[in-house]
Amino acid sequence: MLKDNLGLTLCILIAIASIGFALFSGDPYYVQVVIWVFTNAVLAVTLRFVLLIGELNIATAAFFGIGAYTTAVTSTILDWTFFASLLAAPVIAGIISALFGWVTLRTKGPYFLLISFAFTEIVRLLYTKTEILGGNSGMIGMFPPMALNDYFPAIAVTILAAILFALYAAERSNLGRVFKAIQNNEDIPRSVGLNVIGLKILCFVIASATVGLAGGVHAYTNSVIAPADFTFFVAVLALAYVKIGGEGHIAGPIIGATILTLAGQFLHSFGPYENIFYGAIIIGVLLLMPGGIIGLGERFKIRSIMGRNPR
Amino acid sequence: MTDSETTMHTSEAGNIVGEVLLKAEQLERKFGGLTAVADFSFELRDREILGLIGPNGAGKSTTFNLISGFMPPTSGRLFYLGENITGKNATYISRKGLVRTFQHESLLSEMSVADNIIIATTHRLKSTAARQEKMREMAKLTGLENYLEVTAGSLPHGLQRMLSIAIALAAEPKVLCLDEPLTGLQGAEVAAALDLFKMIRSELGITILLVEHNMRAVMRICDRILVLNHGRLLATGTPEEVSRNELVVEAYLGHKK
Repeated sequence: MLKDNLGLTLCILIAIASIGFALFSGDPYYVQVVIWVFTNAVLAVTLRFVLLIGELNIATAAFFGIGAYTTAVTSTILDWTFFASLLAAPVIAGIISALFGWVTLRTKGPYFLLISFAFTEIVRLLYTKTEILGGNSGMIGMFPPMALNDYFPAIAVTILAAILFALYAAERSNLGRVFKAIQNNEDIPRSVGLNVIGLKILCFVIASATVGLAGGVHAYTNSVIAPADFTFFVAVLALAYVKIGGEGHIAGPIIGATILTLAGQFLHSFGPYENIFYGAIIIGVLLLMPGGIIGLGERFKIRSIMGRNPR
Repeated sequence: MTDSETTMHTSEAGNIVGEVLLKAEQLERKFGGLTAVADFSFELRDREILGLIGPNGAGKSTTFNLISGFMPPTSGRLFYLGENITGKNATYISRKGLVRTFQHESLLSEMSVADNIIIATTHRLKSTAARQEKMREMAKLTGLENYLEVTAGSLPHGLQRMLSIAIALAAEPKVLCLDEPLTGLQGAEVAAALDLFKMIRSELGITILLVEHNMRAVMRICDRILVLNHGRLLATGTPEEVSRNELVVEAYLGHKK
């Protein structure tokens, strides 16, 4: 219990430090990198959240995009206020994911993976064919209001950190235990009166709505979004963060996203060869430390900081 | 159950049994061209231990899937506590109090014993304290109180069987359907399990439908037995009647003795 609190306290301190950095650093590039780290962490953590019920959800990328486009449309076309347009992102992503999940979560494993992959690409193609969404060139002009401009990076990091803590709390609750039970053997929760399909949809909607909110933040962070930002490759990268950091604990994807995002800043100089390095890192990690960095930590018994896995 | 005493009568085996809880009418299930269960009608009465036996492939597990809602029947009807539950899903039927175990993998192998049982309390109990209390109670009943933090998949086989029963009991059933709960148990473990079943019936007032291959155990504990062969009801009656039935002996041994 105490150990859990130690790890959690550490995470809260890091989050506060990041928000403080976003407020006071003054260097827009480094602030941008911090927001990217948090955004990628949310992508990885929401991908892992659906992994709790045993499904690999490529549509993480789609709902990230749906959130971004929702915020873009509501802020630039409908002229909604900053916070209203941000809030619209998780709402729309949640509604669409509920419908999508209700139909598709009756399938499992490779079937669900392929459907979520197809959905991601179809949604992306819809953006390119829709004139009001800017077609291939996407949408521009999502700016936070002038009064909030200086605080925007801190607001963005706060929202993204809150998502991470909320998903951590959800996993630690009885709901998280039920999700893991569904992954382990869904006949058992069904046989004791749990609505397995409903719970799967709930898990999927929580993940999609939160990644949608991250998409909304992304729209304001970048001010420019385009269909090419939301290909299935976003989910593949998120999967890499999860695998490298380790699946066993929510800290895994966060660590993985942090390392790879920071590494990416250096790898950019290699231009088109950048992805070779990602590939090499992923293969190396999977070969040398199958449990990811978290798994490595547990092997060396540094559980004192991580705490035990939640029951 | 005291209010139903008027409807109770004494069965031939000498145990008190009561009103009809579960009634199957001409159940049928086909898989493509194969008929797994056909024209199967039976009644399960309050507080009885009803055995369902038959050779491999006789349709016992299919029958379990049909009555627990894991599979809809091709035709026929099911009534539970007077309600037509034909075609209702497994979640609904379990919530009504008809809970089953599984022949294989009847637990959450990657989770702790405690978590396994807590999952089963989730629907009925909303507070963490109540769930913990129920979990401890069920673990104690099944002799698992010293294994709460052990991963279920690494328990010895006998205790895994006990855990599957603890899971089902934690869901507070009125009818408990056990699918081959004695498979792979040693002599002493079988005796302990049979004592547990009797206790479940007498202390908790739970009715048991038992699919089992261990004939000696079935004969010892059941009030009545249904014998399935090729998906059809071959014989029914008390253990003595069934064991004297020539058709049953033939179905099991393939020839008359």
